[in-house]
Amino acid sequence: MTQRNRTLRTFLATTALVATGLAATGALAQSKVAVITPYLAQPGTQFYVEAFEAAAKDKDWDVNVIDTAGDVAAVISRIEDMVTQNVDAIVLNVDPSQVSAGLQAAAEAGIPVVGMDAGSDPLLVTNVTSNGYAMAAETSTYVADRIDGEGNVVMFVFEAFPPVQVRSVVADAVFGNFPDINILDRVTPDVSDGGIADSRAKMEAILAANPEPGSIKAVWAAWDQPALGALQAIEAAGRDNEGIVITGIDANPQAREAIESGGNFEATVAQDFKGIGSTAADVVSRILAGEEIKQGVVYVPTKLVTIANAMAD
Amino acid sequence: MLTLLRRYGTLIGFAAILLFFWISLPDTFMTARNWLNISQQMSMLIVVAAGMTIVMVMGDFDLSVGSMASLAGIVVAVMFTFDLPIWAAVSLALMVGLAGGAINGVLISVIGILPFVATLATLTMLSGLAFVVSGGKTISGRVIPEGFSGFARGGLSLGEWNGVAIALPNLTLVAIVIVALVWVLLEQTTFGRRLYAIGGNIEAAHLSGVAVRKLKLIAFALTGSTAALAGIMYASRVASANPTQGSSLMLNAIAGVFLGSTFSEHGEPRILGTILGVLILGILDNGLTQLSVDSYVRQILVGGIIILAVSTSSLTKHLRA
Repeated sequence: MTQRNRTLRTFLATTALVATGLAATGALAQSKVAVITPYLAQPGTQFYVEAFEAAAKDKDWDVNVIDTAGDVAAVISRIEDMVTQNVDAIVLNVDPSQVSAGLQAAAEAGIPVVGMDAGSDPLLVTNVTSNGYAMAAETSTYVADRIDGEGNVVMFVFEAFPPVQVRSVVADAVFGNFPDINILDRVTPDVSDGGIADSRAKMEAILAANPEPGSIKAVWAAWDQPALGALQAIEAAGRDNEGIVITGIDANPQAREAIESGGNFEATVAQDFKGIGSTAADVVSRILAGEEIKQGVVYVPTKLVTIANAMAD
Repeated sequence: MLTLLRRYGTLIGFAAILLFFWISLPDTFMTARNWLNISQQMSMLIVVAAGMTIVMVMGDFDLSVGSMASLAGIVVAVMFTFDLPIWAAVSLALMVGLAGGAINGVLISVIGILPFVATLATLTMLSGLAFVVSGGKTISGRVIPEGFSGFARGGLSLGEWNGVAIALPNLTLVAIVIVALVWVLLEQTTFGRRLYAIGGNIEAAHLSGVAVRKLKLIAFALTGSTAALAGIMYASRVASANPTQGSSLMLNAIAGVFLGSTFSEHGEPRILGTILGVLILGILDNGLTQLSVDSYVRQILVGGIIILAVSTSSLTKHLRA
């Protein structure tokens, strides 16, 4: 009984390994590319990994997608394993400064590593991502045009987080270029609860301080949560018919719904996650073809979302 | 022949796994470089599992090791933001580990709460503490001194092998030292023999004059310290700390000890068995990744192998009883 179990155990383990092994050692001449991420369970990541895989299929690459289920040290381990395997390229989706031990190993082996919305790092050939400056330009010009370049604007910003900080730099520049636009308040909400509740409280205080209809023309938020909070405050105060224009950035599902319903929340910007995946695949194929990538960041265009296309994609 | 197979079944399985990877990956698996990589990748888990072995010898558990590791990493990184020198930050984090472990010990041995319940509660508390201390953020970048993150990247040069410079990684060295210490403690001292006595029959141990409470308290304090050390090693390896980064260590450490206990004659945890158990997990991760096996399939295989190994071992026990 026991002996049979032991033998059975060994047999099962071995056959399972042989089966999966055989399936994996299909083609040899293909380029081998590894995609390594701790975040595959997150929706955004899934979009770009799927788009990358689709593009890689056309290019006939052997793609190995590795998810470490949130474990960042395991990302280093898997990079080391891929260096041992001598893959042709690695695509990374994690903050590169946390895995530099692995990036160092790849650099020493001469294996190029491309960031897919990862962050910039000297050890990455390039990072493929959305342009935060461009996204903020889309919404701040939308606001300026909608209020005909005059009136009080409330800004929700977050300077401590670099990807969000760059957005407010551009909005400041755009609003500064209109002499009749006045920045009424520049609010940094407490984001520990997700950002909506505190933004709502801050907006309620600002509404109370500016009771005259028309005294606030627009709310520009550096991301969607404060925009949603401001919307709730305006609706709760019964001032949703004053034509206060609200914009956000990121196009999360809640923001899309708010825009679709035709209220004060009028615009946001959607990142093209699929585009990031397919562009990363293009960059890898250029590297494999021997081209030198000069840009440290490759930007993928984003799209303004308004009532015209809120539920379109 | 039958006894041999019964006694060495897991070892034979281990050899079969090695052989399989060696054949499937002839150029890259059985190389010094790859084995040094595996040793480095598994070093943190080995340290946690070595500490876990100390309490599992008594038939107890410590579920809080993962959150303790996260908290220790956070403590080190937060101390760096106050410009504390590396030795001071590391010592402080180790003391947090010792204290946390001792609290587990008090809850279990003095107050008498079941280890599962007590350490489940401290797991939650330590994890919350890690979030509070860090403000929920990942601490990384320039605040982490080069000397701290450089440690995990460095190693003892071993010369060249097939024209490639190889080094014994510092993290591996730390793991070897801890394993040696735990081996001496469990196998060569009265303290260790008494822990095994408690694990064998706690009543008998108590009646024969073993200071069960004191020993349990010390054992849990040691487990907490090794968990903190592993957390510090983790923070060094990723040059950063976030409040959840150690969470995968706990289940893997327990799995490693269980797998390891199937190597021993009576199914009791032994430190060398634990090392083999952890190595099985590490080799599966390394080899299956190299074979491009899907990450999720990998998890299923690893879980399946644990069930097979431990269930055969427990069936052996039943047959003997």
